[in-house]
Amino acid sequence: MIVGAVDPSDEVLAARAAAGDDPAFEALVVRYQRRVFRLACRLTNETDAPDVVQETFMQVYRHLSTFRGSARFSTWLYRVVVNAGLMHRRARARRPAESLDEFMPRFDADGRHAQTPDALRITPRVDELMDRHVLAKKVQAALQRLPDLYREAFVLRDLEELSTADVAQVLGVEPATVRQRVHRARLMLRGYLSELARGRS
Amino acid sequence: MTAIVCMSGVEVLMEYMEGAVAPDVRAAIEAHVAGCARCEAFIASYRETPRIVREATSVEMPADLEASLLAAIRAARGSARRRDE
Repeated sequence: MIVGAVDPSDEVLAARAAAGDDPAFEALVVRYQRRVFRLACRLTNETDAPDVVQETFMQVYRHLSTFRGSARFSTWLYRVVVNAGLMHRRARARRPAESLDEFMPRFDADGRHAQTPDALRITPRVDELMDRHVLAKKVQAALQRLPDLYREAFVLRDLEELSTADVAQVLGVEPATVRQRVHRARLMLRGYLSELARGRS
Repeated sequence: MTAIVCMSGVEVLMEYMEGAVAPDVRAAIEAHVAGCARCEAFIASYRETPRIVREATSVEMPADLEASLLAAIRAARGSARRRDE
């Protein structure tokens, strides 16, 4: 082993894997499996996530030769996860989730917030007031009630903490579109958490 | 001077936070929020929302899944190669 050797970059491993180097492919799987699992849970749920993870890496294996070094490997990988998650949700053909529209902020005729500061300020306290497991279940369920387009953007931007520019690359849309979708998701979830903290959801 | 009320401020809140609004809009938002307890409370909760959801959905991959994932990938790879031969 070379002293001071650094791990090969994603792109180097991807190029080797595309050339048929199985250990290089498995190194990519090991490097990314936890992140892909967490992302899959957030896009679908913990029950479906293992299938989404497996499907993702199968797709990556099959299509590595189409990966060009022009994008980062992680950007390309996230796109595969998002698509695999979406396919999985569609295949399940669940009845449409009840929308979160009712949790959007409300304004009076003059455009002022309809709720008092106390009612608006309550959100930060929800994670102190509620049992962690109960909160996790409710938040996960609320996330699944977002429209797919909003959930994908919100999960990548706010939960995986990619930059807006990177999310735009993953989803193949303009940064302004990402901001619009993330913003709508934040508004709905903020309202949901606020009602949760007040014991109404 | 752009006039901002709570509703129009909320509309551009994320753009404001990401520095994507014009300087006059930025100034108008800041002037409005400085005198509006409702917006101050709303923005605090809006900022908190990603963290709360992130922490509540931060799950670890089960160890047995790591093992079964590699096994499944190897099996699929093997059968794909046999088909190609």
